[in-house]
Amino acid sequence: METTHRLEWTLLATPLMVFLLVCLGFPAIVNLIYSVSDISFETLRNPEISGFGNFVAVLTDSGFWRANWFSLRFGLLTAILECLIGLGLAVFLAPLFKDRSWPIAILMLPLMVAPALMGLMYRLVLHEFAGPVPHYLWAWFGNSPAFLGPNSAFWTLAVVETLQWTPFAFLLFHMAYQAIPEELREAASIDGVMGLARFWRIELPLMLPTLAAALLIRFIDGFRVFDNVYVLTGSGAGGSTTSLSIYIYEAFFKQAAIGKAVAASVILFAASFAVLYGLNRLARRRRR
Amino acid sequence: MKPVARFAAALLGSVFAAGLYAGAANAEVTVLGWPGGPEETALRAAADAYNAKDDVSEENKVELLFFNRDGFWDKLQADLAAGSDAFDLNLLATYSIGRYAPFMEPVELSDEAQALYGDAVLSTMQFDGKQYGVPTDLSLHFMYYRKDLIDALMSDDDAKARYADISEEHLGTAMEPKNPDEWTWDDYAATALYFTKAVNPDSPTRYGTVLQMKNLLFNIMVWQSTARSYGGDWMDADGKITVDSEAFRKGLELYKKLYDAGATPRDSLSYEFAEANAAYAAGQVAAMVQWNAAAADLTNAEKSPAVGEVTATIAPPSGPEARATHIHGLGLGLNKSAENKEGANAFLKWLSTEEAALIYARAGGAPALSADAVSSVADERPDLVQLGEYAGAYGYVMNGGASANALAIYELQAKEFTGYWSGQQDLDTALANVEKGMADLLK
Repeated sequence: METTHRLEWTLLATPLMVFLLVCLGFPAIVNLIYSVSDISFETLRNPEISGFGNFVAVLTDSGFWRANWFSLRFGLLTAILECLIGLGLAVFLAPLFKDRSWPIAILMLPLMVAPALMGLMYRLVLHEFAGPVPHYLWAWFGNSPAFLGPNSAFWTLAVVETLQWTPFAFLLFHMAYQAIPEELREAASIDGVMGLARFWRIELPLMLPTLAAALLIRFIDGFRVFDNVYVLTGSGAGGSTTSLSIYIYEAFFKQAAIGKAVAASVILFAASFAVLYGLNRLARRRRR
Repeated sequence: MKPVARFAAALLGSVFAAGLYAGAANAEVTVLGWPGGPEETALRAAADAYNAKDDVSEENKVELLFFNRDGFWDKLQADLAAGSDAFDLNLLATYSIGRYAPFMEPVELSDEAQALYGDAVLSTMQFDGKQYGVPTDLSLHFMYYRKDLIDALMSDDDAKARYADISEEHLGTAMEPKNPDEWTWDDYAATALYFTKAVNPDSPTRYGTVLQMKNLLFNIMVWQSTARSYGGDWMDADGKITVDSEAFRKGLELYKKLYDAGATPRDSLSYEFAEANAAYAAGQVAAMVQWNAAAADLTNAEKSPAVGEVTATIAPPSGPEARATHIHGLGLGLNKSAENKEGANAFLKWLSTEEAALIYARAGGAPALSADAVSSVADERPDLVQLGEYAGAYGYVMNGGASANALAIYELQAKEFTGYWSGQQDLDTALANVEKGMADLLK
């Protein structure tokens, strides 16, 4: 019986294992080799292993830590904003969505735009002369903030990212909210728990797993942001809006420092793995 | 035949036909061009003319391929390094030639090329003494200015007195306005300040100039002519890096002074070509240094109604050492992994003839032609006369500007100098970082 079970498991798992090995294993191995090699575009096919110099170069580069700090702040801020607004929309506009699908379709529209196009669009929208926003601010108030100036670029980027991805968080919360059994709400009403109290004591606790998942997904997306930021500000004056993805891209393509770029991506992978592993263990402990 | 069988037969037929088509396409000469703008239009016209020639066989006809301009050089780098044979000929630029040369082959030009372009222009497509491309377009900088505003300033004594006060307050010397063809960088700065509302509330424009200060390598090419006109260079004859110099400091401080005084939009630290043009075309800027490629739009009343009729162009202002404009060429070269090298070489040879250059110029391209050659198109393209004249008289390539890491050096300077302009680091730190980074890149 045990042997049959093992055979079945092997037969079923083999295609998945082959797929993972080919699609993830091969690039992972190549990346590991590149990260400890002295490599250029000319030597991509026969890298020369040279030790851990690339890792030292990354870890001693203040630009790397600055990019980490930007990504961390950006990821946290946008994840929190998107989840708060998405949750608010899902809960407080819930009556609007009852038996109607068009409001949801409208709310989803920003998701239909490619992030790079969104960045390009806002580059035009916020331009002092070509863009409508500064134009009307000048016309009505005689001045307009420099939306992409060095002091405000971070906040502008965060708002653009939030505008684009809040619908995703909203969709998750909308589904979670709809999944709460109606009987619970009825029971709460009979017990006199209404309005915000009902949301706080009954609905929100039931939506917590979705909230945690949404926060994690949006944080990961915000942390690895590239398109919006790159199109809107490049890497920012003096590298002030360089996210970790932009750092890796610039090291790879702009500086042709391939080993350094790959080493940074390996560090990022290891750090992400450690965080996810830690979160998973924490979740398991809580479940016990 | 059953529906499923009919579908399978149709599918097989389609696959077979696609295979045949792919085989035919491979026999053609595929050219990877610079998408958008006059370069694409001109290349299409040249390719059409070539394909219409009787002596060009079907299998050697030219087919054009374009991909997104954003990140073009990075994608091209990856394609060339991977040995892609998706294109036979690809775009090449002076500042990237050293980077791409290992994946390309030298080319042979027509007998007319020498007289048509001259040594200086041909050299923009050379690396290690070998010709790697046909120079199809030359890029340099013009000073674009509002003739109406400058004329009004020059003819008004009260305005001149205000100009003197402003220049004394901000630049330390009471100056008199001059014609733009006599401008030094100080005159340019004084004029920019005079036409800035934040400095002079009576200014007819909101800003005196618009600077492209985004952290972008092309913006450093625009800026560095200030340093060059003060005698600056990347390296001296012995290969010593000379960026930390009085010349570079002067040029960098000039931008910083104008930015801090509000003479350029506060968003200028995110501006590049398109944004600067939009600001100027809105009629709210008095003068700017910009690529020659903007001339067609900014001097055209239909395309730029607010400024088209009153915009004039001149070479960038002079410094104590010289008047200078950065030059670089765009051109087409041969991919080492090309499948149809013979056909590709034949097209390149034709492209370097006078016939092709004139077709290219008439279609909107910007080839830098010798005085004899340009006279044939001078009526239609007067800007090409200016282009050849300025390139010959004021054009420069920084010492090391065509090296394998030239692009990375521009990137490094862009990052450090924008850091200084935005107030995130001081000038000494920016220059020290550039010198250190350049030493690594030029090893």
